[in-house]
Amino acid sequence: MTMPTKAGGADSGPALSLRSGGRATRAYRRSARRAPAGFVALAAIAVAFLVLPVVGLVVRSPWRDLPADLTAPGVLTALRLSLVCSLSAVAISVAVGVPLAWVLARLRFRGRGLVRALVLLPMVLPPVVGGVALLLAFGRNGLIGQWLDRGFGITLPFTTGGAVMAETFVAMPFLIITVEAGLRALGQRYEDAAATLGAGRWTTFRRVTLPLIAPSLGAGAALAWARALGEFGATITFAGNLPGRTQTMPLAVYLALENNLGTAMALSLVMLAISLTVLVALRGHWFHPR
Amino acid sequence: MSLHADIALQIGALSVAADIAVEDEQVVGLLGPNGAGKTTLLRAIAGLTPLAAGRVVLDDEVLEDTATGVRVATEKRSIGVVFQDYLLFPHLSALDNVAFGLRARRTPRDVARRRAAEWLAKVGLDGFAQARPRALSGGQAQRVALARALVTDPRLLLLDEPLAALDAGGRAALRHELQRHLAGFSGTCVLVTHDLIEAVTLADRLVVIEAGRVVQAGSPEEVSLHPRSRYVADLVGVNLYRGPVSDGAIALPYGQRLVAVDDAHLSGDVFAVVEPHAVALFRDHPEGSPRNVWSGTVEILDIMGDRVRVRVNGPVSVVAEVTPAAVAQLRLGDGGLVWASVKATEVSVYPA
Repeated sequence: MTMPTKAGGADSGPALSLRSGGRATRAYRRSARRAPAGFVALAAIAVAFLVLPVVGLVVRSPWRDLPADLTAPGVLTALRLSLVCSLSAVAISVAVGVPLAWVLARLRFRGRGLVRALVLLPMVLPPVVGGVALLLAFGRNGLIGQWLDRGFGITLPFTTGGAVMAETFVAMPFLIITVEAGLRALGQRYEDAAATLGAGRWTTFRRVTLPLIAPSLGAGAALAWARALGEFGATITFAGNLPGRTQTMPLAVYLALENNLGTAMALSLVMLAISLTVLVALRGHWFHPR
Repeated sequence: MSLHADIALQIGALSVAADIAVEDEQVVGLLGPNGAGKTTLLRAIAGLTPLAAGRVVLDDEVLEDTATGVRVATEKRSIGVVFQDYLLFPHLSALDNVAFGLRARRTPRDVARRRAAEWLAKVGLDGFAQARPRALSGGQAQRVALARALVTDPRLLLLDEPLAALDAGGRAALRHELQRHLAGFSGTCVLVTHDLIEAVTLADRLVVIEAGRVVQAGSPEEVSLHPRSRYVADLVGVNLYRGPVSDGAIALPYGQRLVAVDDAHLSGDVFAVVEPHAVALFRDHPEGSPRNVWSGTVEILDIMGDRVRVRVNGPVSVVAEVTPAAVAQLRLGDGGLVWASVKATEVSVYPA
């Protein structure tokens, strides 16, 4: 009695899948994944809210005057300074942030959670507060600053170095958190395998760990760079707004808004282009979450 | 070359305390169920997991001794490891994977590559030097992992279930290959497995591990003839009983007795083994000579070739192997009460 029933059941399987081969499947999937009432409309509002300002910028920009606006005095200076500062910030972040990410991901020690919370704090801290904090630490009368000033004659606030510091302060946590996540996802097993093959810690890091976390490192560096490039609050607080020395692009945009809207929009377009480039470079990492 | 590892450590809920000795050019198989601590032991020998207490000595070289504080780092130990999932470096070609150990030990690049290529040829992968691990089949990846572990001429080879990740077809072929490579290997080898065929074909000696402890050690023949744990008995496919000898029989739980002919010279606790094919089944209480008769409910387990394995669940549970004809004749498929009988001459007894 049971045998024919089973055979029938087995037969109907392939027949079903044959029938649902083309459009039927898509319609079936759509009906299976229906959004709660109103979600699609609310989602559309969110998209509009996020996209319309960018559209406004692109549409209202004086494209015809763009070449002139971009070559206006001060614009190229700000652009060059922005690139120098933000790339320096990324370089410093990689140099010390990758080892920190490794320590957080691989070593077990008391207070690891506290260290992680503290180093990620700049991500959520208002940048202006970061700038004030930097002043209190590295300013001429700051905790370390007075000592640097008197002992070595090094002054950081209101210098290009200060701008780099401000950008590093806000950007490095993005690199740390991304690389640490990459290291955790990778796990220690490949490193174990390398050790059994006679590779010391440095060889293992260089030949196994680093190549395997390269996507995370790239993503972290790109995020940090984007954040450093857009840095405003901490920079203007700690480094000021000195053209050619600390006036990076965001600062120049803000200043230009007062008297020269065209320059402001031209600079904004440049930064939008850079941001889009970063986004495209990161698409594998962020657009297809595993 | 020899290995002596006396290991005690705790990982999560598993506490491991095992003493394992491997002689010259011997392959020792660590056999045990999942979660018994076999891999943990292997990692401890490799230096990847520190010991809580104990020592590991390879050819008179102390690799680790918690009493004296000696601890040779993993990368300084002359070992080769084949991990269960191989752990080939995904960003390196098969050739660079095999050459990795040589390069890490500062062998010049061209020498390392030449020797890696030789090993790839030895494992039958001449044409795959530039292939990335992702492009390799399971069997090919296993061969690369073996070549990578052996290319540095380690004194100790550690294999963690080297064939477990393969399908049944590939496993048999690779087992023969592995056997060949092990025969040509002059070091000491520890093989972790939970497969009996793998253990008896590849290992010279077996160490059975359960819950972190050594429950039996001996030659494959000895272990399979005289199992000392339920796990091994199940692997070998025999009925295993344990109890004290009293009144010329072995006392089993629930007042049951198991009579054997050769238990006269034994006393104290003993093990008794009954082969499933020596168990006869009846619907009615059997007449005549069999000394051991128990009743129980019948349950069909599976079919093995032309025999059907049947379990009789009663005060004394026993697995029997009968013919399909007997299954039909006795209507075993209907379940119900049956009688199982074992002749005293079919019971093999040895001290516990």
